Amino acid sequence: MNLGGMRTYGTDGVVDVVVVGTGAGGAPLTAALAGRGLSVVALEAGRDFALDDLTPDETEAVEINWMSERLSGGDDPTAFGPNNSGRGVGGSTLHWGAFTPRPDRRDLRLRTETGEGRDWPVDPDELLSYVERVEGDIGVSGPTPYPWDPHRAYAYPPAARNAPADLVAKGCDALGIRYADAPAAVLTRARLQQHRGERSACVNCGACHQGCRVDAKATTANTYLPAAVAAGAEIRTEAMVHGIERDARGQVSAVVYRQGRVDVRQRTRALVLAAGGVETPRLLLHTGIANDNGQVGRNFLAHGATQVWGRFDEPVRGHRGYPSSLITEDMMRPADADFAGGYLVQSLGVMPLTFATTLVRGGGLWGAELMQRLDQARFMAGIGINAECLPSDDNRLVLADETDEHGIPRARVTFTAGENEKAIDRHATSFMLRVLQAAGARETMVLARTAHTIGTARMSADPADGVVDPDGRSHEIPNLWVCDNSVFPSAIAANPALTIMALSLRTADRMLAAA
Amino acid sequence: MPTTHDTAARGGGPVTLYMLHALGSSAAEFQRLRELLEGRVDVRGIDLPGFGSAAADPDATLDETVDRVVQALAGHRGGRWLLGGHSMGGKIAALVASRVLRGDAPLSGLAGVVLMAPSPPRPEPMDEERRDLMLSWVADGAISERDAETFIDQNTAEPLDPGAHSLALADLRRTSPTAWRAWLETGSRIDASAEVGTLDLPALVLAGTDDADLGAASQPGLLASVYPRARYVALDDTGHMIPLERASEAAAAIAAFVDDEVLVGPDVPDEWARLIAGDRVDAQVRGILNRRAVPDDRGYAPRVLDVTQLTLLREIADVVVPQVGAAIDLAARVDAQLARGEGDGWRPADLPPDPEAYRAGLDTLASAWPADPAARAEALRAAIEGRADATGPLDPPRLTAWLEDARNDLVRQWLAHPASMARVGYDGFATGGSPVRGFVEVRLGRREDWEPAGVGGTVEAEEAA
Repeated sequence: MNLGGMRTYGTDGVVDVVVVGTGAGGAPLTAALAGRGLSVVALEAGRDFALDDLTPDETEAVEINWMSERLSGGDDPTAFGPNNSGRGVGGSTLHWGAFTPRPDRRDLRLRTETGEGRDWPVDPDELLSYVERVEGDIGVSGPTPYPWDPHRAYAYPPAARNAPADLVAKGCDALGIRYADAPAAVLTRARLQQHRGERSACVNCGACHQGCRVDAKATTANTYLPAAVAAGAEIRTEAMVHGIERDARGQVSAVVYRQGRVDVRQRTRALVLAAGGVETPRLLLHTGIANDNGQVGRNFLAHGATQVWGRFDEPVRGHRGYPSSLITEDMMRPADADFAGGYLVQSLGVMPLTFATTLVRGGGLWGAELMQRLDQARFMAGIGINAECLPSDDNRLVLADETDEHGIPRARVTFTAGENEKAIDRHATSFMLRVLQAAGARETMVLARTAHTIGTARMSADPADGVVDPDGRSHEIPNLWVCDNSVFPSAIAANPALTIMALSLRTADRMLAAA
Repeated sequence: MPTTHDTAARGGGPVTLYMLHALGSSAAEFQRLRELLEGRVDVRGIDLPGFGSAAADPDATLDETVDRVVQALAGHRGGRWLLGGHSMGGKIAALVASRVLRGDAPLSGLAGVVLMAPSPPRPEPMDEERRDLMLSWVADGAISERDAETFIDQNTAEPLDPGAHSLALADLRRTSPTAWRAWLETGSRIDASAEVGTLDLPALVLAGTDDADLGAASQPGLLASVYPRARYVALDDTGHMIPLERASEAAAAIAAFVDDEVLVGPDVPDEWARLIAGDRVDAQVRGILNRRAVPDDRGYAPRVLDVTQLTLLREIADVVVPQVGAAIDLAARVDAQLARGEGDGWRPADLPPDPEAYRAGLDTLASAWPADPAARAEALRAAIEGRADATGPLDPPRLTAWLEDARNDLVRQWLAHPASMARVGYDGFATGGSPVRGFVEVRLGRREDWEPAGVGGTVEAEEAA
């Protein structure tokens, strides 16, 4: 995005708010607070990307991902990097799939419903009202009416169904499963985005995860951040925060970040951490802040994201078009469930290297079988899930002994799927196999994976039981706020970004109300 | 000439070598080279503006000349190709090659360069008195026969044979004075080293021992930072006019170079090469693909692994990603990736950082790796399943975890090569241009008319017809 002409603040003064991170958690709040006249500085570890900088080449496109290593352990180590971690002005919204199902009210009250997991200490109606605001702000395409929520309306018609979507629809038809075009923050008509200019309609290039080159996909860099800059916020790029200073009362007084080889101190009246489910707890643990109760880094959550691929007679060539253009929410609470919660199902197209990695890591393939599957890839259509994940004290993020290029200890994340996750995965795998078989697949292949980095600084009403209160404010430090997927008390089945942006607007309102 | 290469494995016709001539010369200076290499390398000279058949072409500045060459090469049809240059042509070749590797030219398939006493990208070392003398020859129009004879005499170690001599004479006399001056006054003095940068591709450099500033003794110093893979061949009793003085020796060196360094790795099918060169592909992406398609260095010196470890990784690669025919050196590409510090953003918590994990994993697996290629798949399977009888720095679970990373790196290196993309039918890189064009047709069993037919499916219009 264009940062020229942006208002800047001196590092000798005190700003109202420093926000760490410019993705889904940081950007909406930055825009909202700046819009109310607060002086806001947003710090971004990565650089600013122009549309021309982006490339559909998977190997080179990792420049928009967080590639500094994380260590991943447990029985089901989760993959970071291009799988779920962004870096650059726009954060993970640069590479996100823009798949935007709304959070399900039942998921926000899972404990009440099932006795498992956690209730969110948030009013679902309030959260959903923020979700609708976000949809209006960023532009979301989808079917109207929406089968599982008849009153819902989308501003733009849905993205074109690609071949995997048509095949999944065929399978669902045969099984009597409801399906719909997927809600996606991808424009299907050009839109004049305030403070940004015209964003084009999707051209079906299929490279959403490598970064949208026509601005059709919403990112915070083409929505909230231009609005934030127009309202007087400053975005500082390639600024890696590694220190948090506190005053005599214990309140945050400044952050210290490294830009190039220089350490810069920015004094501030309030600090918002919006660096995501890995970097936020890493910074808190590294600085030793807001963790008297030992909750930081606990309850790391990852969505079950198992995929099933079927081989069909005709060329599918699922790298074309919006990758997940079909959804079904019929499995959010299946009648025969032996688990708490549920899962969303989507059709899948994929880029070749991403598929190869899933074949190797999720399918354990190598040799002739790997090559055969790669040769067959153009005949394959996929179906995948995003599944509820319950918090577990065994799944957590800690600091490793090893340090990164900035001298900050690396994050070490342990994740092992629990009984509930395994039960969902069994159910989902069986369901997805039936859909693809009903669609006419000659053979099928199950590939295990997980997605998204959630939890680690959870929101709780009980100060002993989480890192932030129901407003997003630290239980321990009154002028410290956390606003990203790390505050999620449970994973909820919906892909997280839309919910993170809604929470971000909500947190901004709570900060304004508290001021 | 001996060849160790399995030529049956490669597709397409012979390699094409486009040659750019020297100052005062023309494409004709490569005619004998063309005859000598017929059937092995298709040598095609290109007349530069102001010279030979293009003597009347006024656009003879360095930039214009580079543009003309790019236009001429855009007509290339079929197979990988080499770009070469003699003297002045060498500098132009470097500028064109840099555009190809950056993706800025609508070209793909460049597999190496052949240079003869090349003028370097930096300002050409030239005696100023000699420059003035040569400029004086065109003060009153075309170069006289006497001056042309002087030029030939100064640039040869031994007298040319009569055929070559009359050819050189005729080319000098028809040279445009404007073009002659443009090179001596400007083109030769321009510092293009920043624009050219480093050209990491197979390079053959021929130079005479009796040449002056561009001779065999000078070339390594002039070109070291430009062509890290250069193979230098010194030609004895040879001056500056190599293609006319030493056509046979030059042909032999080129043939060996092509066999050893150019016919390495898989061919990108012609239809796909044209797609990469075309306007649906962004320059940035074209550059990425062109650089990946450059033949691997058979003499690659590993930077993270030692030679023993690299050899074992190559043997593992043969099992993990079996390649039929001409193969990509995946192990070398992984070593280079490790040297650049590129990973995938995470690693198994119990493994050390990637370079160390690779060394430890390879040293461990070496203890249980069979000499018999037929037994290697089973040995790898045992290691992946944690039951290898291997001893070394990694215990069985860590060896399994490292092998997952290694398998992933190897297959990703394979699939990133444009020949592999063509094989699996992935053409999603061709979604660029201005404005950006994606897919109009995304349905099952269909393709668009711009897509290579091999991707499968039918074009709707064809079906209707």
